[in-house]
Amino acid sequence: MQPLKTILMSDFPSSKYDRGKIFAKTGIKVGANYARHYLKTILGSTNKQNSAFYNQTAQEIFSEFTKLRGTALKIAQSLSIDQGFLPDEFSEVMTQAQYSVPPINRALVRSIIKQELGKFPEQLFDSFDANAVAAASIGQVHKAILKDGRKVAVKIQYPGVRDTITSDLGLAKTLFKRFVKNKAELENYFDEIETTLRLETDYIHEGRTIDRFYSRLADPQIDIPKWIEDYSTERVLTMTYLEGEHLKEFLARDPSQVEKNRYGQLLWDFFHEQILQFDEIHADTHPGNFLMTTDNKLGVIDFGCVKKFPNDFFRDYLLLLPTHLNRDIKEIIDLYKRLDVLKSNPEDDPVERKYFEFCINYGYTFAMPYESNSFDFGDPEYKELIRGYTRNAPLGNEIRGNKHFIYSTRVHLGLYHFLMKLGAEINTSKSREIVATAIKEFDFISISIKKSPGNYPGFDD
Amino acid sequence: MTKEIKEKIHIAKSGARLYTTNPYFSLRALADAADIEIDTIYKYFTNRRSILEFYYESIMIEYQESTQNIEGYLDFTLSEKLSNLALTLIDLMAEYKEFVRQTYKPFVVCNSRNQAFNQAFKVQLKIIYENDPHQSRLSTVFHTDLLYKAGLTNFHLLIRFWLNDESPANQKTMELVDKWTSFVQEVHYTAVIDKGFEFAKYIFYNSPLNPYGATSKNNSDE
Repeated sequence: MQPLKTILMSDFPSSKYDRGKIFAKTGIKVGANYARHYLKTILGSTNKQNSAFYNQTAQEIFSEFTKLRGTALKIAQSLSIDQGFLPDEFSEVMTQAQYSVPPINRALVRSIIKQELGKFPEQLFDSFDANAVAAASIGQVHKAILKDGRKVAVKIQYPGVRDTITSDLGLAKTLFKRFVKNKAELENYFDEIETTLRLETDYIHEGRTIDRFYSRLADPQIDIPKWIEDYSTERVLTMTYLEGEHLKEFLARDPSQVEKNRYGQLLWDFFHEQILQFDEIHADTHPGNFLMTTDNKLGVIDFGCVKKFPNDFFRDYLLLLPTHLNRDIKEIIDLYKRLDVLKSNPEDDPVERKYFEFCINYGYTFAMPYESNSFDFGDPEYKELIRGYTRNAPLGNEIRGNKHFIYSTRVHLGLYHFLMKLGAEINTSKSREIVATAIKEFDFISISIKKSPGNYPGFDD
Repeated sequence: MTKEIKEKIHIAKSGARLYTTNPYFSLRALADAADIEIDTIYKYFTNRRSILEFYYESIMIEYQESTQNIEGYLDFTLSEKLSNLALTLIDLMAEYKEFVRQTYKPFVVCNSRNQAFNQAFKVQLKIIYENDPHQSRLSTVFHTDLLYKAGLTNFHLLIRFWLNDESPANQKTMELVDKWTSFVQEVHYTAVIDKGFEFAKYIFYNSPLNPYGATSKNNSDE
């Protein structure tokens, strides 16, 4: 009977009290697990036992977070991208948050479609699968066939999910404010997250984004669905259905290195092509948002979170790559100051020095793939290096960095982690040229930056 | 659905629409609004009230019709079937919300002369409860008219809630339906009472204090 229980919509707590209760319950559970684990450690536990412990704790957190859906689950997804913070067992379990949340009551799905599209699914579609093919934080996806025979994916937004943005972020903000010194910066960060999340719950906005990305980036190797406007509203999104495998399924069938490299290269080029277009960037680089399609294309299936960064920020962000590779300390310090990473010269202040040393080493590691013409993301040493830096990040009681880092880092880190999981070897020569071209273009178009275009060896060559 | 039923539903819906602009509409005005001959109305109905009352019967007919077309309906859980009953009826009423606001109480809740909607609703509840194989053995004892009456009363209260629900796309009503049906399912699916009953039975028959007990001992002696 257990599977029946898991599909109940009642597991969706919408009130602030219900959601707070689940946060507290999760905290107690995790605390109890850690206490048990600590006792075992004293008695001498093995690596295998550690792994089982992490897995059990992660499963419990996942199970509670999936009940919350909405914003809290988005946080879980972010943790699954930024793997360095978490043991592997945690990341694997949290990755599920992207597309395997228990779906909602099937009668509700039917009612939502009636209210949003004016007719019941059986009247609207030639066929409609009441069982969701994927369920994530904000909505779930159903497979259907239109009367004209087209296969479509119908994304249904969970009822009350918009309310969770205010309540969950309010809760998180209250917690953070207790130990963060620069509260004004914190407000900026939260405003940025809230604005993005609100847009993610507007499916008309996402539909239009799908249209724009389709005309910009769909090509013989990249598959992007087509938006079906007549079957879409703010809470229901219909698009053509892409058949394919997610990364996990793809890797499970033990593909050849050539296949891995090919898909990795497609993803790498897809992101750099976006940089060159000076337009919106797909900002949710999560394995759940990409497919290896049945016709050997890279499918991109979720456009809820896209960002267009301000020119001055984006230029400086891209500049981080060549300046780190060149080890141009003066330029790096200037950049860090412009990007709000440093407040003063690191030579004069030990706190600033701590941030600087961490950032410059991490930045260099991050820029490494651009150093030569090819880079092997499957190299376990590189993975360990990235994880090591993330784990040893200097955590203080103040927020550092421009608010746009939230999503630019998410894009970049997500891309790296995807390629590391895939174990792909990537040709990066073209992307180096793209970054160099983009920086020059920004210098040209941006009137707010007075600095003259620099010369960035290794990128301009 | 037969042609006659379709015609009756069409007349009833036209009547419901007309009622909100003029509660005392004439049958001639209704015939014009429904684009039919007045004789057709007289063929099925005796007066204006019977037409308006039939509106509620008609949504129950439409519910049955639509449920037959749901892919995989038989796999629905008790909660999903109950939610489907409540939400489908509400979705069908949504187009005539103002009419429902004005007439639900006199035509359905407090109508002692015509109980057709209430009877049909209880029949649907009976079908749902009696055909769900996942319920505990003991919960089937409660499949009585009392249970269906309680379900109907809950539905009346739900309609009142929905009529006052101003949340976007009636999300509050959806959540209420979900929470209500999930609770009902939890009560009917739980094996706690079954297990408790078995435990109590075992204790009763095997307690040394029970003068009629120790059956296992007697059996083993034999």
